[in-house]
Amino acid sequence: MDGTINGSLNMIGYGLAAIGPGVGIGLIFAAYINGVARQPEAQSRLQAIAILGFALAEALAIIGIALAFVLS
Amino acid sequence: MSQPGPPPETSPSRSLDPWVAFGRLVAGVGLYGAGGWFLDRVLGTSFLLPLGIVGGAALGLYLVYASLRER
Amino acid sequence: MTIVGLAPFEDGFTPPGPGDFELPAVFAGVTKPMLQLVLAALLVVIFFWVVSRRGAMVPGKLQFAGEQAYTFVRNGIARDIIGSRDFMTFVPYLVALFFFILVNNLFGLVPLIQFPSFSRASFAYGLAALTWLLYNAVGIWRHGPLGYLKHQSVPGGVSGPILALIVPLELISNILVRPFTLALRLFANMFAGHLLLILFTLGGEYLLLHSDVAFYKPIGVIALLLAIAISFLELLVQFLQAYVFTLLTAMYVSGALAEEH
Repeated sequence: MDGTINGSLNMIGYGLAAIGPGVGIGLIFAAYINGVARQPEAQSRLQAIAILGFALAEALAIIGIALAFVLS
Repeated sequence: MSQPGPPPETSPSRSLDPWVAFGRLVAGVGLYGAGGWFLDRVLGTSFLLPLGIVGGAALGLYLVYASLRER
Repeated sequence: MTIVGLAPFEDGFTPPGPGDFELPAVFAGVTKPMLQLVLAALLVVIFFWVVSRRGAMVPGKLQFAGEQAYTFVRNGIARDIIGSRDFMTFVPYLVALFFFILVNNLFGLVPLIQFPSFSRASFAYGLAALTWLLYNAVGIWRHGPLGYLKHQSVPGGVSGPILALIVPLELISNILVRPFTLALRLFANMFAGHLLLILFTLGGEYLLLHSDVAFYKPIGVIALLLAIAISFLELLVQFLQAYVFTLLTAMYVSGALAEEH
C-alpha cells in the first residue's frame, strides 16, 4: 500500500462544489414549506420565489458538473 | 352529509415549475457550452468554452426569472 | 462485448465496478435483466387481473388492496397533476408504468434475483423514450404540430430581441433535456444503490473471511450489518424513484396539454 490516491480530481472538485447548493436548496424549500404551512393562501406567491431561489442555487451545481467533465 | 362536488380544477402548469427550471438551467449550460466549444474549435481559442457554460447558465437563470415574473 | 473490470488490490480484493453489471446471456443472447423485465410485466398483469376478477361492490381484502394501489396512482398522480378534465385517458399507462418500474426496482432486493433491472441504462432510456413519445404526441394532438412547436419554444413573459437566444434554449430544454434527465435519474439511482450494496457485501465478506489482519474481522461484521441497513435505504429509494418517474411523466403530459402560457 503506497498511499497514493488514484482517480479523477475533477470529480472530487465537483463533489465538494455540490455541498453548497445541496444545503442551499434544502434551506430554500424548508422555508417554502414553513411559509405555506403557516399561510396556505400564499402558496402560489411563495412558489414563484422558491423556484427562483432554487434556480439560483442550482446554477452553481450545474456549472460545476459541466466544468468537471469538460476541463481536463 | 351531501355528496361533495367534483374535485376543484387543479392548475397543472404551476406544479411543473421546479423541474422546468432545472431543465432550463441544464439546457442553457449544455447548449451554449457546446456552442462555445464548437466556436473554440473553429476559431482556435480556449476561453470560449467556459464563457459559453457560464453564459448559458446566466441565460437559463434569466429565463426562469422571466417566466416567473408576470404571474 | 468488453467487460470493464477493475484490477485487484495487492491483498487480493477486487473492488466492484461497472463490469459487475454486465450479466452473461442465459440462452441465445437473452440476458437475465431481459427475463426480469418480462417477469415483472407478467407479475403486474397477473396481479391486477386477479385483484379485479371478482369485481364485487363490497370488496374483499384482495380487491381492496388492488383498489388502494390503483387509486394511489389514479388520484394522487393522474388526477392531481393532469387535472380532472382529461386525466382518465392517461390513467392506464400511468398505473402500468408505476407498477412496472416498482416491481423491476424491487427485484434488486428479492433473494435469488438481486438485480434492479433499471441499473442497465438502456432499459431506463427506453422507458423515457416511451414517455417522450407520449407527451409529444399528446401535445401535437392538442395543439397541432406547428402550434405545439410554438407552445414549447416560446415561454411566457419573455419578449424582445433576447427571444432569439431564448427560443433554442427553451426548445432544447423541453424536447431534449426532459427525457434525458428522466432516464438518467432512474438509472443513476438504481446503479448507485446496487453498486453500494455490492461493495458493502463483498467488502464485508472479504474482510471477515479472507483478510490476514485480525483487527479487520469485526470491521467486516460491521460492513455486513451496514449492508442490511443500506438494503432498507434501497427499498425507500426504489419506491421513490418509481413514484418520481410516474409523477414526472404526468407532469410532462399536463404541460403539453396546458392551454395558457
